[in-house]
Amino acid sequence: MSNLAVLPIIIPLLSGIIVAFFAKNVKVSRVLAALFTIINALVAVYLTSVVFTDGTVILETGDWVAPFGIVLVADPLAAVLVMTTNIIALASVFYAPFALTVKKEQHYFYAFYFFLISGVSGAFLTGDLFNLFVFFEVLLMASYALIVLGGEKVQLRESIKYVLINLFSSILFVTAIAFLYGVVGTVNMAQIAERVQEVEQTGILTTIGILLFFVFATKAALFPLFYWLPKSYIVPNPVVSALFGALLTKVGIYSILRVFSLIFVYKISLTHEIFIWIAALSMIFGVIGALSTNNVKLIIAYNIIPAIGFIMMGIGMFNEPALSGSIYYLIHDMLIKTALFFIVGAIVYVAGTSDLKKMGGLIHHYPVLGWLLFVSAFVLAGIPPFSGFIGKLLLLEGALENDKIIIVIIALLTSLLILYSIIKIFVNGFWGEQRHIEPTEKKPLAGFLVPVAFLLSFSILLGVGAEYIYPSIESISTYLLNPELYIDSVLKE
Amino acid sequence: MYKPNDLIFRTTTSLIAFILLGFSIYLLLAGHNSPGGGFIGGLMTSSAILLMYMAYGMDIVKKILPINFRLLILIGLLIAVTTGIVSLFIGVPFLSQTFTYVTLPIFGKIELATAMIFDIGVFLTVLGVTITIISTIAEDQ
Amino acid sequence: MTDALAISERILDISILISIVGISLSLILLVYRIIKGPTNPDRAVALDAIGVNLMGVVALVAIVLISSKLNDVVLLIGILSFLGTLAVAKYLEAGVIIDRDRD
Repeated sequence: MSNLAVLPIIIPLLSGIIVAFFAKNVKVSRVLAALFTIINALVAVYLTSVVFTDGTVILETGDWVAPFGIVLVADPLAAVLVMTTNIIALASVFYAPFALTVKKEQHYFYAFYFFLISGVSGAFLTGDLFNLFVFFEVLLMASYALIVLGGEKVQLRESIKYVLINLFSSILFVTAIAFLYGVVGTVNMAQIAERVQEVEQTGILTTIGILLFFVFATKAALFPLFYWLPKSYIVPNPVVSALFGALLTKVGIYSILRVFSLIFVYKISLTHEIFIWIAALSMIFGVIGALSTNNVKLIIAYNIIPAIGFIMMGIGMFNEPALSGSIYYLIHDMLIKTALFFIVGAIVYVAGTSDLKKMGGLIHHYPVLGWLLFVSAFVLAGIPPFSGFIGKLLLLEGALENDKIIIVIIALLTSLLILYSIIKIFVNGFWGEQRHIEPTEKKPLAGFLVPVAFLLSFSILLGVGAEYIYPSIESISTYLLNPELYIDSVLKE
Repeated sequence: MYKPNDLIFRTTTSLIAFILLGFSIYLLLAGHNSPGGGFIGGLMTSSAILLMYMAYGMDIVKKILPINFRLLILIGLLIAVTTGIVSLFIGVPFLSQTFTYVTLPIFGKIELATAMIFDIGVFLTVLGVTITIISTIAEDQ
Repeated sequence: MTDALAISERILDISILISIVGISLSLILLVYRIIKGPTNPDRAVALDAIGVNLMGVVALVAIVLISSKLNDVVLLIGILSFLGTLAVAKYLEAGVIIDRDRD
C-alpha cells in the first residue's frame, strides 16, 4: 500500500478546484496553474523513478482488499505514460496564456484543464475496468467543456457530433463491462485476466473483447471510426487541440494495449490479426486525409490517425520488439503531436489564416518557427536520429519477425507521405512570396516557441538517448507479455 | 393580458418546500448506510428550490436565497476531495473511512461516519450544479 | 395457528398478484392516453397517474421483499411526479415555467 499511486490523480483534481476559485483573476490563476502543474510533474517523475526501482506501486483505496475494492496500479507502463502526460501538461500550461484570450481563461479554462489531466492520469493508473470507464467520463466531461470554450458557432456544431459519438461509445462501454461482469463476475482487471486464463477465453469472451475493442477504437479514432475526429479537433483553441490530440486518443490506444495484452490474449490469431489490418487501413486513410487538405490545422489533426495506426500495428504483432516499438511510438507521438499543434497554433496566429494557399514567406519574419516546424516534421516522419525513427525501427523489426511484409511496405510508404504532408506546410507557408495578411508588423512569438522547444528537446532526447531509454522500454514490453506479473502484483495473496 | 391566479399553488408551496427540505436533510444524513445519500439529497433540495422558483419567480427567490450556486459547486468539490486527502496525511490508504458512536442530549446514541462529510460535499456539488443548470436554461431570453 | 398464518400469507400473495395485474393494466391504458390523448392536459394528467402507479409498484415490491428500505423511494417518486405535473400544468397555463419576475 502506498498513497503515491493516487497523487497524480488527486493533485490535478485539487488544483482544478482551487484554481476555479480564482477564475476571474487571470494573473493569479496563471501563476497557481503553473505552480500546481510543476508540483504534479515532479510527483509524476518521482513516481516513475519509484516504479522503476522498486517495482509496481499498488494502492487499495479505502483499505478494501484487491478484488473487492478499487485498486490503483502504477506499473511501469502507466507510470511512464503519466510522466509523459505531465510533461505535455507542463508545456501546455505555459503555452495557454499566449494562445487563449483572457475571456476564455476566465471561463474556467485552467479548472477544466486540470480535470482533464486528472482523468487522463486516472485512466492510466486504474486497475479496475469499471473505474476506467469512470475516468473516461471524467476526462470526457472536461473535454466537452474545453471543446466549446469560446462558444463560436462552428465549435457548437462540431461539439454536438463529438459529444454524441462519445456518449454512444460510453453506453457501449458500460454494456460491454456488464457483459464481462456477467461472464466472469468481477471488474478488477487482474482478476478478470486470471479467470479468462482459466477458461482459455471461450467464444463469448472473445466477443466481449471485440466489443471493448470497438469502444476503445472509437475513442482512439482507428480506421472505420475516425470520421468524427479531424473536424472536431480543429475547432477549439490550439492548446485545447494539442491536449486532445496528445492525450484523448492515446488514452483509447492505451486501453487497447492494456486490455489486449493482459486479458484477451488467448485468441491472438483472431483478434490481433484483425488489429494489423485495421492498423494498415488507419495509416492509409489517415495519410490520405492529411494530403487531401490545405487547412494546416486539419493536416495535423489527420496525422493523428496514421500515428494511432503505427501503435496499433505493434499491438497486433504482439511480440517483444513490436510492443517496445508501440510504447516508444506512443510516448514519442504524445510529445510530437502536442508540439505540432502548438506550432500550427503559432502559424495561424501570425498568418491570420489557416488556409495554406493564402500563406507564404513566413520564414522572413519567423525563422525560428519555420525551423522548429522543419525539425518536427523530421521527428514525426522518423528520420534518424530522432525519436520517431527508433519507434518505427522497432515496429518494423517486430513486423518482419512475424513475416508481415505487406504492412512493412504500407508503414514505410505512410511515413514518407506523412513527411510530405508536413513539409507541404513548410514549403507553402514559409518559402515563396510573402503573402500573409499583415506583412509589416512582426508579432512576438517567444511565448509560443519556448513550450515547443521544450517538447522537441524531450523528443530529441528520446531519439538520441535511445541507448539509455531502450532497456526500460524493453522491460515494459517484457512485463506486458507476461500478464502473470501484473496479476501477481495486484492479487498478492 | 390574462394573469393566472395561483393562490393555492403559492400557499401550498410555502408548506411543501419545507417538507422537501426536511426530507432532503433526512436523505443526506441517512445516506452512508441506508438508501439516500448526498446525491439524492442534493436533488431533493434543488427540487425544493425549483418549486419556489416556479411559485414566486426567479428574482424574488434570489432575494430570499442570496447564494452563489457556482461557488457552492466548488466548495462541495473541495469538501469531498479533502475527505480523501486527509487520509494521505495520517498514513492510511486514500479514501479510508471510519465511524464512531456519540451520545447527544436529545437524539441519544447515534453513529457518526466520516463518509457523511464526503456526502455533504456531494450534496453541495449536486445542489450547485442542478440550480446552475436550471437557472441557465430559464434565463435564455 | 399456523393454518391462519399460512392462509393469510396466501391471501397476501394473491392480492399482490391481483394488484400488480391491475397496475399493469392501468399503466397500459395510461400510456395509450399519453400517446393518443386529444389535448395536452390529458397527457399531463396521465403522466401524473403513471407516477401514482409507480409508487404503487414500489410499495408492492417492498411488501414482496419484506423491506422497509423502499419507503423513501415511494416518497421520492411522489415528490418528483408532483413537481413534474406542476411544471407541465404551469407551462400549459402560463407558457413559461420559471418566470423572471412575478407581479
